[in-house]
Amino acid sequence: MNSRRALYAQAIRGPVLLVTIGILFAVQQAGMLPLSRTWPLLIIIVGLLKLVERLAMPRAPYPPPGGQAQ
Amino acid sequence: MRPRGSVTGPIVIIAIGIIFLVHAIQPGMRIVDYIGLYWPYVLIAWGVLAFLEVTVRFVRGAAIPVNGISGGAWFAIVLICLAGVSLFELQKPGHWWSNMDWGHGFNEAFLGEDHAYTVETVQKTTGAAPHIVIESFRGDAKISGGDAKEVSVSGQKSVKSVDLREADRANQQTPVEVLVDGNTVTIRCHQDRSGSRALVTTDLEISVPRGASLEATGTYGDFDVSSLTGNVTVSSANAGVHLDDIGGNVTVDTRHSDIVRCTNVKGTVDLRGHGTDIEVTNANGEVTISGDYSGTVALRELAKPVRVENLHTILSIERVPGEVRLDRGSLTAENVIGPVKLTARSTDVNIDGVQNGLDLTLDRGDIDLRPGHLPLGNMVAHTRSGNIELALPETATFQLTATTDHGDIDNEYGDGLKEQSSGKGARLEGSAGTGPDLNLMTGRGSITVRKASASMPQAAPPAGASPARAVLLLARPVIAATH
Repeated sequence: MNSRRALYAQAIRGPVLLVTIGILFAVQQAGMLPLSRTWPLLIIIVGLLKLVERLAMPRAPYPPPGGQAQ
Repeated sequence: MRPRGSVTGPIVIIAIGIIFLVHAIQPGMRIVDYIGLYWPYVLIAWGVLAFLEVTVRFVRGAAIPVNGISGGAWFAIVLICLAGVSLFELQKPGHWWSNMDWGHGFNEAFLGEDHAYTVETVQKTTGAAPHIVIESFRGDAKISGGDAKEVSVSGQKSVKSVDLREADRANQQTPVEVLVDGNTVTIRCHQDRSGSRALVTTDLEISVPRGASLEATGTYGDFDVSSLTGNVTVSSANAGVHLDDIGGNVTVDTRHSDIVRCTNVKGTVDLRGHGTDIEVTNANGEVTISGDYSGTVALRELAKPVRVENLHTILSIERVPGEVRLDRGSLTAENVIGPVKLTARSTDVNIDGVQNGLDLTLDRGDIDLRPGHLPLGNMVAHTRSGNIELALPETATFQLTATTDHGDIDNEYGDGLKEQSSGKGARLEGSAGTGPDLNLMTGRGSITVRKASASMPQAAPPAGASPARAVLLLARPVIAATH
């Protein structure tokens, strides 16, 4: 179940990034903010997506320090 | 079960098909315009579709693709971005793209064809000295003064548009109007009415009474103004400006120009803005050039003080009977009257023939001085890094101090000057009679002081040349020969 969430989180990366790129270009063409000033937003989005992906990962992949896996 | 392929790809293909279908059914619709404007929304729609697709699969419990958007799709997206950006840039009016000659086929496909129209001649009677106002327009204008007391406007119009109907409509909506209100004559091209689907360029030929003054604004095109006795003010976003035989004051303000040339101006000349080359020849008033010019500033025969000022360079000269050329990185002056004052960053200075002294302060650059004229004026030449060479006429009187912090001094002048070295630098002091102070200083570089005619090849001065001119000729045989 958890791995499905991780897969989903991974699969929406592309679409979300594409929508962001589209919005940035649209904003540029509307003459509001040029891409040269908005591009760092893309890095932020990539970071956020990575974070979401990490959160959606299955829990406890490491064995506990005691030795016995749960 | 084999997972179903993405639905996004087919939808994008359908969308492209619809676009071409619309174009095929309604060729008048400038589909290129709309794509150029709205392509980012295609990306957004694509992204939303892909997002929905993945989400639906997730909710339904179907197989989720590894990537919402595949590698091939990203490649297509990059292509769309590139094409979209270039289309958008192409459409901006007055953009350099649209002014480039890409060959007929390219222009036709993306911007439409040129359609030519004639501007009917408009004539209005005026006083002897009307004030002419040309409102902002795109195109060339040739304005010349004449004896008739009337303003006459004619010309040509070129309309860039995909189809003829559109061009006809744009032509009719952009008549050239001449409005007389008291002493003011306004010339209006109404190009803003043409709409975004046609680009109107109006080339004007205007004849006005000789006594007229002119105030012209342009977006793109050359101004050619001649034989007016009034003031001339030209401002343009992108223009070459040629002014000849102007009786009043001249003001030219360009945001981008390839050349501003003023010849035979009786009043002051004030040039500002950005551009490439500047040429001012034979001006009787003061000349002020402030702004950023990337090419050559050439000044000749200026009767009043001239001042050139930009980010890195400040140059002022009292009079220029000869010629001054200021390039990015070099200043050449021949036969000028000082005080000459120059402050510059990185400039090689070459001055041949100067009266009344000079004051040079450079960050970096070589200085080559041949004052020529006698008596000498006070001279100060400082450079933080660069060689200094001074050629003095044999009979000159002066008091010289020359120092270099790091370099040699070469005294070819003679025994009158005493040289001493200190650390890595050197110092040369001395005088010949009583005369003005000459002060040379370089942080790093050599200094050479010599007699003007000493090490020069033999060249007989032409008959009739003044003594000062003769020295000058000796010092610069090559220039003298071509002068």
